[in-house]
Amino acid sequence: MKITILNGDLNPTTNSFSRKVEAYVEELRKSNRVDLFTLAQMDLHYCTGCWSCWWKTPGECAINDDAEIIFRSVINSDLVIFASPLIAGFPSSALKKIMDRLIVLLHPYIEIVNGECHHRKRYEKYPNLGLILEKEPDTDDEDIKLVKDIFDRLAINFHSKLVFVKMIDEVTKLDFVIMEEVRNDEKI
Amino acid sequence: MKLTIINGSPRNKKSNSKILIEKFLEGYGKIESSNIEIHYLANIHKMDEHAKAFAQADTVLLIFPLYTDCMPGIVKEFIEAIAANKYGNKKRFGFIVQSGFPESIHSVYVEKYLEKLSLRMQCEYIGTVIKGGVEGIQIMPNYMTSKLFTNFTNLGEHFAKTGCFNEEIVEKLRTPYKMSKANLFGFKLMSKTGLTNFYWNSNLKKHNAFENRFAAPYK
Repeated sequence: MKITILNGDLNPTTNSFSRKVEAYVEELRKSNRVDLFTLAQMDLHYCTGCWSCWWKTPGECAINDDAEIIFRSVINSDLVIFASPLIAGFPSSALKKIMDRLIVLLHPYIEIVNGECHHRKRYEKYPNLGLILEKEPDTDDEDIKLVKDIFDRLAINFHSKLVFVKMIDEVTKLDFVIMEEVRNDEKI
Repeated sequence: MKLTIINGSPRNKKSNSKILIEKFLEGYGKIESSNIEIHYLANIHKMDEHAKAFAQADTVLLIFPLYTDCMPGIVKEFIEAIAANKYGNKKRFGFIVQSGFPESIHSVYVEKYLEKLSLRMQCEYIGTVIKGGVEGIQIMPNYMTSKLFTNFTNLGEHFAKTGCFNEEIVEKLRTPYKMSKANLFGFKLMSKTGLTNFYWNSNLKKHNAFENRFAAPYK
């Protein structure tokens, strides 16, 4: 399986979160092709809402930075894992930055999905989504639910499915569990 | 009351958010015209200044366009800059979330987050105004936008008088939550005539990109 991991840790050289993500990637690499992107160490800019990718150069982002390699990796993956410590109850701005930019992978045309407006596909196949978080001292179950709900919405927009949400301390031994969940998902 | 407005649109001064705020302030200005500050988060190199403006404000309204059914990345960066502090319930914090799609269902998930964020920061939560169908207002004829603009002007006037969002107007603005069966039927008819994608097609043609509209360059 091809897996892309987007690590949104804002301090990847000092935070234990990134060490755990790297250890996890080592495990995953034993049986998968894995691209790990440590977003804070890349040249990435915010989406400016310019719509170039929808009506000037369809499917291509106008910003000339490191995002293109991420776009290619994401759309050619079976699974994309968003990873970030929670900050103020939500994954980091570095992760949100690349989430916004993924609109380049969609088409502007609007279609109805489950009775709601959504943008149609640009590509035939979209990867499943996974989410790995780290709690803050004040994180409660409601916070996790709020974040999960928003990523469920992202998955609908992305013609995809959120197949797991895990805390970073749970995942190191969970390679197998995640793979099973994704496999079961594909059977449906 | 001192009012600080934070415009979280990446489109900066060309944003639909700016237009909605102008209409809001038209109404607000009927009651009170001084003590209004506006900051644009698109100036990301000034994030420290934006955070300082927040810290010094009494009442803050944060407006942003919906990105991935959530706040844009620059707004998250702003939240990270202000949320490290607690404000001892001395500050009032309200939100306006506007989106391209017409239904408010896309915006209600981030609304819940914003309410929790206010609580976490010990700010008094004023509420969240949700308005869909905002993309394209800059090219729409007056008759299509006049109701929207009047609602925002009235919202602003009521806010200047009471410090609150008028519930009736908020309810009007966030309707529909989902499209009705009649809306969906109309949408299907419009799809067949190509009307639903008129905005996109006319812009694709304007930029000589129509033929290439289904390009999939990253496969």
